[in-house]
Amino acid sequence: MNVSDLSAPPRGQGVLIPLLLALLVFVGLPALLAGFDRGYFYQIANLALIFVLLSASMHLVTGVAGLLHLGHAAFYGVGAYTAALLSTKFGLGFTATLPLSGLVAALIAFLVALPTMRLVSIYFAVATLAIGQMLYLVMLNWVELTKGPNGIIVTKGLELFGFSLSGRLATYYTVAAVVTLCVLAIGRLSHSYYGNALRSIREDDQCADAMGVSTARLKMEAFTLSAFFAGVAGSLWAHMTGYISPGDFKFSESILILAMVVVGGLGSLPGAVIGALLLILLPEGLRAFGDFRNIMVGLVMFLSILLLPKGLLGEVSALQLARRQLGAAWRNTVKGEGIGWR
Amino acid sequence: MTHLLDIRNVSRRFGGVLAVNDVTGHVDEGELVGLIGPNGAGKTTLFNLISGFTPLSSGTVSFDGKTISGLKTNQVARLGISRTFQNLRVFPNMSVFDNVSVGAVGALPQGALGALFGSFAGGGARSAEISRRTWEALEAVGLTHVAGELAANLPYGQRKYLEIARALAMQPRFLILDEPAAGLNDTETRALADFIKRLHGTGLTIMLVEHDMTLVMSICQRILVLASGRKIADGPPDAIRRDPAVLEAYLGVDA
Repeated sequence: MNVSDLSAPPRGQGVLIPLLLALLVFVGLPALLAGFDRGYFYQIANLALIFVLLSASMHLVTGVAGLLHLGHAAFYGVGAYTAALLSTKFGLGFTATLPLSGLVAALIAFLVALPTMRLVSIYFAVATLAIGQMLYLVMLNWVELTKGPNGIIVTKGLELFGFSLSGRLATYYTVAAVVTLCVLAIGRLSHSYYGNALRSIREDDQCADAMGVSTARLKMEAFTLSAFFAGVAGSLWAHMTGYISPGDFKFSESILILAMVVVGGLGSLPGAVIGALLLILLPEGLRAFGDFRNIMVGLVMFLSILLLPKGLLGEVSALQLARRQLGAAWRNTVKGEGIGWR
Repeated sequence: MTHLLDIRNVSRRFGGVLAVNDVTGHVDEGELVGLIGPNGAGKTTLFNLISGFTPLSSGTVSFDGKTISGLKTNQVARLGISRTFQNLRVFPNMSVFDNVSVGAVGALPQGALGALFGSFAGGGARSAEISRRTWEALEAVGLTHVAGELAANLPYGQRKYLEIARALAMQPRFLILDEPAAGLNDTETRALADFIKRLHGTGLTIMLVEHDMTLVMSICQRILVLASGRKIADGPPDAIRRDPAVLEAYLGVDA
């Protein structure tokens, strides 16, 4: 085999599937939505897209970099509140709040990551849980700023450089376009040599370190980048629904996003997307079963872990990752440092 | 002249145990040096001290005239010291190609922006270089035909070579092999010896820890012997074979 023939990594890179997906998202689905013309369907489609973005952003930090993140929804909330506050207090429109929400969420993630990133395994997971809870409590209790449990009504709908996009179809297209762009960006990040460096941290961070990978820095970047995309999703949510409250960003939402990534398969971006669609659409589709639907959704998650340990398309089994994370917690370090630090 | 690797009065204490006790030694550019010693002599600890895995209790390690003790592991690695591990540590859920590419991207970091805007921001050239180094390393160990395979699916012997390829993809100046022949049969060990000699022939400086005496004696130009954390001998294979201190450490006899 000639080396020069092999300049690209051995990955299947088809054009057909992305093209079909683009047609589905930008032609097929909108046509269907317009055909049915029911607000409820638009809501579901938009919600599903937003969770696709949330799941994809968590894929980067948990699926690729292997950091068990239990507070992702809080950064989604930071994005949503940033958008809502900038819009209601300063009159900024969606065009400005979209990037700003991402940046504020990323900034806060960066600041909380500074002391947290040295924590390993289960201790890191608990720290992210605490961070999520802290941010949630700020949203709930800082009444002067966030109006607490009453939430905030966002009157400005979606717009782009002054053009209103708040019609049903226009809203769908805007959400779809933003989510698609972000997912493509996440795809580039995770399917690159940069992504491989992140994966090596998931696989064996000490060994990655010995290969010259700046593990501490890369963990920080993955965490911050994923918060950026969660923030963007928050801004979409705030302007789309017109009303946000802390309940949208509580712990159970973080777990829902985590479940999407796990069911879809850790480390796989298509998996994260499918997982999100499944866990948003399934409960909606099962509405006929009333309250039983929650049990059925739980059952689907349980069975998927049991029968498909790697999720639908995963690179790494969730059980394996959890076992390693929990196992590492009780491992004595040779360095004689406190357990749980690195 | 300065040595490529210079170890001076290096000690490491684990609680009450002096795992490495006041060891001084060096490796020159282009050498193939063996490090031997009975179990628990501190060989792997010494490797860990050099590569920054374990901080020193005292002493200094310098590489190419620069003090590297106190640097982070990844900083040491980027200076051109790469290593393999005693207990195989490949990345099991990544393909063979991706495993090796981590070595290349470690030595030649690609940032998030490079990954995002690859071809626009000059990142394309870097990706191409990472890819070239990866294939080159795979070629060197003869694993190109399984590049797309998951590392966990490779047989043990190939995983050993995969680890070496990953280290080579960093294009190191100094390669540390920690018990490369462990778990290999005689035929495989002979093939490995030939391979290490070929690597050394390309001008790479190599240090290896090994239990297999025939391997060490047949390929190394110089051998350091550790026993109970101390260096007890340092010289060419022939001298080491006859060295009374070495014989005593290994056989417990007064020679």
